[in-house]
This record gives sequence, C-alpha cells and structure tokens, in this order.
Amino acid sequence: MTISNKTKAFLGSSIVPLLLVIVWQYVASSGYVASFILPSPNQIIKTFVTNFVEKEYALHIAASLKRVLIGFLIGTVSGFSFGLLMGLSRTAEKIFGPFFNVIRQVPIIGFIPLIIMWFGVTELPRIIIITVAAFYPVTLNTFAGIRNVPKEYFELSSVYGYKGLKLIRRIVIPAALPSITTGITLALGMSWAMLMAAELFIQTYFGIGTRIQLGRDKFNMALVIVGIITVGALGFFMTTIVEQLAKALDRGKIIRKET
Amino acid sequence: MDIIVAKDVRKKFKLKHGQQVKNNGIVSNEIDALGGFDLNIKKGEFLVLVGPSGSGKSVFLDIVGGLSTPTSGVVYLDDKPVDAPSEKTGYVFQQYALFPWRTALSNIEFGLESRGVVKEERVKIARELLSLFGLSDFEDRYPYQLSGGMQQRVAIARALATKPEVLLMDEPFAALDAQTREILQNELIRIWEGTDTTVIFVTHSIDEAVFLADRVAVVTARPGKIKEIIEIDLPRPRHGDIRSCSAFAANRHKVWGALKAEVNKAQQDWKHAPVNSK
Repeated sequence: MTISNKTKAFLGSSIVPLLLVIVWQYVASSGYVASFILPSPNQIIKTFVTNFVEKEYALHIAASLKRVLIGFLIGTVSGFSFGLLMGLSRTAEKIFGPFFNVIRQVPIIGFIPLIIMWFGVTELPRIIIITVAAFYPVTLNTFAGIRNVPKEYFELSSVYGYKGLKLIRRIVIPAALPSITTGITLALGMSWAMLMAAELFIQTYFGIGTRIQLGRDKFNMALVIVGIITVGALGFFMTTIVEQLAKALDRGKIIRKET
Repeated sequence: MDIIVAKDVRKKFKLKHGQQVKNNGIVSNEIDALGGFDLNIKKGEFLVLVGPSGSGKSVFLDIVGGLSTPTSGVVYLDDKPVDAPSEKTGYVFQQYALFPWRTALSNIEFGLESRGVVKEERVKIARELLSLFGLSDFEDRYPYQLSGGMQQRVAIARALATKPEVLLMDEPFAALDAQTREILQNELIRIWEGTDTTVIFVTHSIDEAVFLADRVAVVTARPGKIKEIIEIDLPRPRHGDIRSCSAFAANRHKVWGALKAEVNKAQQDWKHAPVNSK
C-alpha cells in the first residue's frame, strides 16, 4: 500500500498533539493533579459540547471575530497606506520614521491604561488595540518591500514612461507584494494575540476572552482550555485563508537574484 | 551619420558622508567617474565599450539613456541633447530585471503598453520576438520557470519590442555561463544584423567585444574617457566559427594591447581608492 505525501505530512503533524493528549489524559486520570487544575481531555470535550450547543457561545465567537476583523482590516489598510507613503517618500520617512520606530518599541499592552482613560470601557479601545497590533507589521513590511524594489524596475519604468499612480500600481506594488502579504499574515496573528489582551484587560460581556476570564473566576480550567482551543482553531483557520489568498495573489513567485 | 554624439561628458559622484578617495594625491569626497568622454556613434553600428572596472562605462550608458545627467558636457541623440529617457532607447540590464509577476509574453508587452499599442498588436509583436529567440513554447512561463539564458532572451526581446533606435546593453551576458553566453552572442548578432538598430554594449569580455562589435571603444581607468577606438575588420554576417580564425585573434590582440595598461592602472588605483576615514 502506498501512502501519499499529503497523508504522510498529516500523520507526521498529528504525532505531537496525539502524544500530548495521551500524556495529558494519563496525568489527569492518575489522581496526582486536582481536576480543577488540570481537567482531563474527557472533561474538555464535554465542556466543549455543552458550550457549543448553547446559543450563547456562538455570540461570544461572533463578538470576538467581529473585533478581530474590524481591527485587522483598519490596521491593514492604514498600515499599507502609511508604509506606502514612507516607502515612496524619503521626506515622509524622515518626518514619521523616527517617531514610528520609537513608539512601536512600546508593547501595545503598555498603552491599555491610557486607552481606557481616553475611551472608557467600550468597544472602541478594544478595536484600537487590535488595529495598532495589525498596523505595525503591515507598515514595516510594506515599507521594506517598496525599498527593496530593484532599481532596474524604476529605470525601466522611466525608460517606458511609467510614472505617478501608474508606476505605483503597475510596478511598485506588484514588486513589493510578497513582502506586503507577509506583513498582512503577521498582522493577522498579532490581531488574534491582541484580541485576548483586549478582552481580558477591558471587560466585556461577549467574547472568547470573556469566557476564559469566566473560567478563571470559577476555577473552571476546562472552560479556559476550551476558550484557548477555540481561539487557536479560529486563528489557524483565518491565517490559512489569508495565506492562500496571498499565494493566489503572488503569481510568478519571487526569486530575486542578489547582485 | 552620427546618431549619438558625446561631447566632453564629465560625471562626478559625491561620496557618502565620511568616505574619501585620493585622486592623484589629493584627498576628496568626490569621485570622478567620467573625465571628458568624447564619442561619436554611427547610426546602425554595433559599438562595444570595454574598460577596467569602475571606469564609468555603465555611467556613460545611463547618461545616454537619460537615466542620469552629466555633471558637465552633453550627449546628443539625433542632434537633441539627452536630458530624460527617450522613447528611442531600449535598455537591457545584467540582472535581466524581468517582472516576476508577469509571464514571458507579458514581460515583452510591457514597453508597448505605455505606448498605447492595442492588446492584439502587442501580443503579435511579442510572439514574433519570442519565436525569433526560439522561445515560442515558453510564452506562459513566469521568469522563475525560465533558465538564466532564457530570461535574458526575454529581456532583450522586451527591449526590442518598442523598436528602439538605440539599444543600450549593460553587461547583459555577464551573469551567464560561458556556453550559454556564446549562444546568446550568436543569437544577438543574428537578430541585430537583420535590423538597423544602433547598439551600445558594455562588457568586460574582450572575446565578446571582438565578436559583436563594428568598433570597440577602449575606456581608460577612472576617470573614464575614450583611450582608443578599434575597428573590428571581421566580415558580416558573423557566425560562431569566426571565433577560431586568425583574424579574430589579431583583433583580440589589438584590443587587449590597448586595454592592458588601463587594467593595470585601475588595479593600482584600487590599492588606495576606497578610504574610510573616521
């Protein structure tokens, strides 16, 4: 019997999670660890099922997804625009670059008290946090992508009369695209990471983070773990979509020779 | 008739802050790339520039192409001073500079798009050129799916698509292996001999220069100027076999004779050229 490479890869990638579950189940059922500290996989599955049959859990997921999507989209669009501006204009880079580079050194979580003071405990500060998280990687990678466009492309463009918007749309952006999509993929990961921070630090009724918080307050680690798995699965799913989109966009793969 | 006339073209480059060079014992933060370049190029001729590294051959090419402006002096193209890229010129780079997001066919169409040539006409021209280079089966391939030699063929085809009066080629075959290089030289000369395009071709290879050129212009070590122009008295049309005839060797010897002293001088220069002061 022959096994396809895809099946092999899938089997290979299942080894670690499977082992983890087996060890986990063993430790949990051995009685050495209290079940409220480490619930068994069995319990997790039960909690998972009870959660998902509740209509409310869907609302929690929806609230988190909406937050991530809005923040990610605003952050990506603004990051792309800002990166484009700094990439194209040395003057803009001189004006904004140093400030941007200083401020991005501060972990976004550090700004949370300030953001709450200014905007209150509302939906806005949560979205702001996610937006900022998405903004940085998109800005940086768009900027770098544009600065790495080979100078020959610009020379060719000027030989053939491409300038202004046409130059940006037809040459600069396609040439920088692989770097831009890398930035967007990173931004998505950052958005999910910061979603948790936003929901845990800025209390809200709906959200997966809220469920995790609830689990902590109730000493119900099963609830916490179900929340973690939900976030992981959703994040993985969205990242896969974005990666596939990026692949589809990036026709002709870039293999650039270093001179 | 001269299509290109360069008169006393000089080009200085300012070095980055803190960098200095010694020119004849004088420390300076400027570098003279071209020091009075005079050259007349006839319409339809194949002129090859050879010279030591750093002698400003590529700088001259950029000035002719309007990509760079001279510090002083002037280059005329069809009696008009060059101050911007012209529709009459085409460019081929050492690193091909094909657009990786476009297919071979679409890369060749690139220059025609901005000239307002309609799609069917563009495709027709691009297909003709692909077939001329024996690449008809590869029109849908992306650059990464082509070998180096094929990529450079596409890049040359792209430059020829707009039917330039002057084709500027900056060490186009330098990145290729020796065999591919000879094959491309043969193809280039075969295709060029069927056109009336003027070519200015920069190379470090004397064999390449002799094989391709009507005239070889030997450039001095930095600051570059024309040292000597050597007429290559080999018959046309030229075929690959000509490389092994004795007339070829005689021409080769002549070019090397003019070039040798300059290469030595350039190497002496290197010893005290890039000085990084604190």
